[in-house]
Amino acid sequence: MDSQKSLCIILLVLSTIAILACLVINLEAWIVYDVAIFCIPLWVLSLGLLTMAKPAPEDEEERVKEPFTGY
Amino acid sequence: MNLMANILINVIIAFLAGSLLLGLHRKIMARVQKRPGPPIVQNLIHSLKFFFKETAIPKTVSKVFYIGITFILALIWVVGVIAGPVAKDSLLILFGVYAVYKIVEHNSGSSSGSPYGKLSCVRAVLSAATELPLFAAIVFVYLITGTMNIGEIIAYQSAHGPLIFTIPLAAVMFFMLIITKSPYSPFAITKDKALISGFETEHFGLLRGFMHFSEAIAWYVMLWVFLTIFFGPLNAVGYLIGMIAITFITAFINATTPIFSPNHSVMTQITIGAICFFGTIVMIFTGVVA
Repeated sequence: MDSQKSLCIILLVLSTIAILACLVINLEAWIVYDVAIFCIPLWVLSLGLLTMAKPAPEDEEERVKEPFTGY
Repeated sequence: MNLMANILINVIIAFLAGSLLLGLHRKIMARVQKRPGPPIVQNLIHSLKFFFKETAIPKTVSKVFYIGITFILALIWVVGVIAGPVAKDSLLILFGVYAVYKIVEHNSGSSSGSPYGKLSCVRAVLSAATELPLFAAIVFVYLITGTMNIGEIIAYQSAHGPLIFTIPLAAVMFFMLIITKSPYSPFAITKDKALISGFETEHFGLLRGFMHFSEAIAWYVMLWVFLTIFFGPLNAVGYLIGMIAITFITAFINATTPIFSPNHSVMTQITIGAICFFGTIVMIFTGVVA
């Protein structure tokens, strides 16, 4: 498992736990705001990084050389 | 209701409603131009579909910056949802959100390593001209109501009537911001088609979907703020009708107007802003505004 995938799983689990904790426990408003501001985008991003398709190994070099770059 | 549940519900509503409104915007533009156009749900489907598309990180990008900037874009609009529909807090927070949005446009372009992204990044600095009329509109709202708090502005309007009738030119200035941020706007110099997709050019696949998620929320929040501070206390049906009406008007304007060159765009915005600013001052001093 590569490091990006491991990091995404850890961040997804942590953000899920933080959001669920705020749903279950009545914490102070500023804590809930902080959790919402950082963990909602983090949850969406880490989930997306796990669900996205990756290019086949033989195509990877071609994909990272995008047509718009390198000018 | 639990605060986190309230925030989550509002973020989901903002994303779904914003996506459908942007889909409607595209549909209306197509119909005005005598094209069938995509289905209204297409924008929403695209946002979700991108999360499963093949994504690679181009060689020329700064990886942390490139991914981080999409995270910041989502973060600031979650702040927008909290400061607006959830907490009805200060307008200054929303002004700050908009100012950071400009910085995100700028840095998203520069993180990409693409010449199109970089040119869009330069234009994002120019397009900050829209912040002046926005700031002026907020100042007038403060001068009339004596508060920056959205909840108190709503209370003021329930006692004195909607601000659109008191300071209509300030509403025009705010509306210009909405036109600027709408898709295919005449002022959208950062996403001019000569720049491919501007600052989003190198953000594709998952990251484009993530940006769509944030932009749908941004559209919803901007419409919500405009309706709230100029049309007073509204119920859900009032917001729905107002958002559809604004989407219809902006789509009609954008479908019939070409994108301005950067200097024309900035000068037009500043000229409209200046006319509305001095017009509102004249209205205040001549006693038209109570």
